[in-house]
Amino acid sequence: MNLFTRPMKLLTAVVLEQTTEAVIKALLQLGVMDFVHINRLDPQQMEKLSTKPSSVSRMALEDTRHRVEALLRQGHIHLPSSEFLKVDDLQKPDLETYKNVLDALNIQLLTLKDKQKQCNQRLIGFEEMKRYIAEDKGEYLDLRLGEFTHGTQEDLSSKIGSFGGILDEIKDVGKFISLTLRRDVSQVDPLLEKFGWEESSDAGLQRQALTIVTHRLEDECRKALLERSEVEGEVDAVIAEKKSKLIEIWGNLRLNELCDQIRSYFAYTRNTTLFSGWVPSDQAQAVSKAIFDASDGQCVIEWTEATEVNREEVPVAISMPKALEPFQRMVNNYATPEYGTVNPTLFVMVAYLIMFGLMFADVGQGFILLLVGLFVKFNYKKNPMKPDGLLSRNIATLLLYLGGSAITFGLLFGSYFGMNIFPALWFNFDAVVSGHAEGDVFKNVYDILGLTVKFGIVVIYTGLGINWVNLTRKKAWLKLILDKNGITGGLLFGIGLYMAFGFVKTGYHTFPTDPWITPVLLVCLIAMFFRGFLAYYLSVKEGGKTHDAGKVIFDSVMEWILDTLEIFTGYLSNTLSFMRVAGLGIAHASLMEAFKELSNMAGGVWGIAIFVLGNVLVIVLEGLSSGIQSLRLNYYEFFSRYFTGKGVAYEPVGLKSNFSL
Amino acid sequence: MDPVSQYGFINAKLRAKLGLMKESHVIDELLKTNSLVEAVAVLRDTKYSEVASVFDSTGDLQQMEVVFLHGEIAMYHEVARYLDGKPSDFVHLLLGKIEVDNLKNAIRLWYSSLIRHRPMRYRSEYLYKQKIVWPIDWPALVNATTWDNVVKALSSSPYHDVVKKYTQESIEELGLFSLESELDLQYYAQIMEGLKSLSSDDRQVAQRIFLVDLDLKNLLIMVRFGWFYHLKADQLYPLLLPWGKVYKSKEVQTFIATQPEARDPFVIIDRFYPGLGEKVHHVVEQKRGSVKSDELTVLQNLAMESYLHERRKDVFHSILGSDPFTIGLPLSYFFLVKEENSMIKAILNGKYYGYTEEYIRGVFA
Repeated sequence: MNLFTRPMKLLTAVVLEQTTEAVIKALLQLGVMDFVHINRLDPQQMEKLSTKPSSVSRMALEDTRHRVEALLRQGHIHLPSSEFLKVDDLQKPDLETYKNVLDALNIQLLTLKDKQKQCNQRLIGFEEMKRYIAEDKGEYLDLRLGEFTHGTQEDLSSKIGSFGGILDEIKDVGKFISLTLRRDVSQVDPLLEKFGWEESSDAGLQRQALTIVTHRLEDECRKALLERSEVEGEVDAVIAEKKSKLIEIWGNLRLNELCDQIRSYFAYTRNTTLFSGWVPSDQAQAVSKAIFDASDGQCVIEWTEATEVNREEVPVAISMPKALEPFQRMVNNYATPEYGTVNPTLFVMVAYLIMFGLMFADVGQGFILLLVGLFVKFNYKKNPMKPDGLLSRNIATLLLYLGGSAITFGLLFGSYFGMNIFPALWFNFDAVVSGHAEGDVFKNVYDILGLTVKFGIVVIYTGLGINWVNLTRKKAWLKLILDKNGITGGLLFGIGLYMAFGFVKTGYHTFPTDPWITPVLLVCLIAMFFRGFLAYYLSVKEGGKTHDAGKVIFDSVMEWILDTLEIFTGYLSNTLSFMRVAGLGIAHASLMEAFKELSNMAGGVWGIAIFVLGNVLVIVLEGLSSGIQSLRLNYYEFFSRYFTGKGVAYEPVGLKSNFSL
Repeated sequence: MDPVSQYGFINAKLRAKLGLMKESHVIDELLKTNSLVEAVAVLRDTKYSEVASVFDSTGDLQQMEVVFLHGEIAMYHEVARYLDGKPSDFVHLLLGKIEVDNLKNAIRLWYSSLIRHRPMRYRSEYLYKQKIVWPIDWPALVNATTWDNVVKALSSSPYHDVVKKYTQESIEELGLFSLESELDLQYYAQIMEGLKSLSSDDRQVAQRIFLVDLDLKNLLIMVRFGWFYHLKADQLYPLLLPWGKVYKSKEVQTFIATQPEARDPFVIIDRFYPGLGEKVHHVVEQKRGSVKSDELTVLQNLAMESYLHERRKDVFHSILGSDPFTIGLPLSYFFLVKEENSMIKAILNGKYYGYTEEYIRGVFA
């Protein structure tokens, strides 16, 4: 794990053209290079270079791969993962052969699907009749009992079948039952007449006929359903039979797509190939060796340090333990950190979990969150190819952390499903909220509000601290000293806090009047006033654009006014914003108290039901709002102090690169 | 209830859904596929995954279309649930179109079975048999052995007034065309009546949509039946839907009064849709000689329908960009969803019959 983004190096290499393919394979295997187009480095040099069109279009490769994926999915076979790709298996793609394989398989499947359709149509026809019998709608049915004098049973059965009906023989009696729909009577009548149908007058048999034919219908439905499912199984079997071939094709197509992607960054002279890309510094040696080996030593490799390139062009790679992924995602969802700055994931994790714990402090409910997280994770582990649902893999991991946080704070505040079973390790939150706190450090809700405001101050100062580290690393001295989020801003925020706490200390009567306050305030504000002018001066000195004096004055003064306003109002609102943590914590305790009261009033089974339902409701609603509010505080109050979001994500081309589905 | 309270929530909800529809490339991806099996794979990870499941278990394209129908009905019910009062009633009224189409399909099946003696078999199972708007005894209708039984099955619905005017003999003799036209007319009459109950803003927007719809339908009726099938004035006139500017125009009266063989629909087309005449002429010029004359007329009709469809689409898109707190947004949403569903169904059918991407794209164009 690295507190900062990973250091990067820019590689520029020249290899002999005949070794290009080997180099591509080696780089693909390593999968650490984020390629850049050569023309981005030196557009003038590009004029002397050429590009080569691919022998096979990447679009064609991708389309064919999609065809393979469609067939695999039809066969309920999970798509192969990148683990399956082996660079050594790479071959020139024979798209024509692949097409023939896929077409032939498609024809086979469509034939089976047609058969399945016919089974389905037979099934729904029988089900219609079965339904009419079950709903006692005999008026829609034409049930006959008798015998025929001409033709064969098979012939008559097939003809009745063409109306969706059935002909059933009653064994040992030599009689037949014909069941069709009455709507077809005008055609069934002449048909039976043609076969010399004679109705039976046996009343006993007529009574049995409906039962017999119902059983037969049930049999037919079962058979049709089974046949339909068997065809589905056959479809799966046909694809399963071709599975290895399909996966082999898929793998080769994917490898060729990746190679083509790498190749698209290459530029060529008559005999050499030139390419460039970003690599994490710790991988530089491995990349050099791979290129050297693949090109038999016939290569020229140059490394450029990230410090020599515009910071905003350097891709940002971050190394974080996998366990912290939910928090890394929170950061990535916001934006990519700037190259060389602090990776805020660890800070986000700490701040997020404390905020959540303060809002959702309960051992029992935290335990439920933990169990849900474990259950969902276990479920995904059991079905690794299962797509993410509402409770995704990431949320499941996050629930484990949130559960842990709720349990920790629950222990500190002594809350177990809203009850105080064991004494609180710190103070009894519920008692404070309900006004029964005795002898604790925290006596009323104002004390809780004060606690969260102080926590907010720590978060804001942590943000400022990270910003100062980032600015120092960027050598942005002016900003470090005079920016609203710089040392001056921090100092002004500190003065504000000193005055506010002093005001509270006097029982909200007077502000502190220490003699140093006004001079320090004035010095800070005056210093900030000159920031715009100094920034302009330094920019011009470094070759930046010059502007009219009026514009410079106007811009600088406006910037100063806005920064000053932002310091006085922004810091105040950011700090007070943390009171929402107390608010939600109080709401959580109050809701649990209300459900406890209701449960006691109802008593017995109803009391238990209310208690359980109350807990479920609180876990879902409060859990969700606490999670969202913690995220919001991190994004707005914490990130706004230091996060520029100007980074470019590091996206190396490798076997694990994402592919379009 | 003020418009913001009435439409605020549904506006946000439908716009989010429309946004997702806009981002989706499902139509393009479906077109690119090489077979029905591959096309279904495209639907697997989309909101149409149920369609794919039905294909897996039945292999039956018509059964898949039933899923779309159920989805459309659920869509109207969902939107109606989020609205109150008259707008909600009006959305329910719109379901009448699905009911009329379902009814027409049921009667066609009945007609084919009882009059043309082609067994209905399993086909009735593809019909929607639950209540849509009015209580209709669907099983009784498809199992009717006489026209009187069909009429009886519709006795609790307003369609009864229409169907009871016909007899088995008249249906046998004249077919279903006139009956179906009357059912359509009745639906539009209900809609026009329903419009009166809406607030003035809602009425204005809805009228804008339905009057364009009516104009386009009247235009097509005149071209198809007045020009192509040469119906006489007394047969043609009752087919027209008596609303909209096309119906009321002098040109239409002149067109109907003209001898069927001498009618020129382009006078009306150029009067109301100047670009359309040119498009139809272009089709004629392109295909003349390569197809038979009746095929040419079909192509002209198709060109016209596609042009008119585009105009409707323009109206809906412009409504999407106007006042968000009217019934215009739900109406546009219905149109766009139904359009997407129709396209998906058409592509799936095209893939089933083995048509190429280019051919299907050509038909859509």
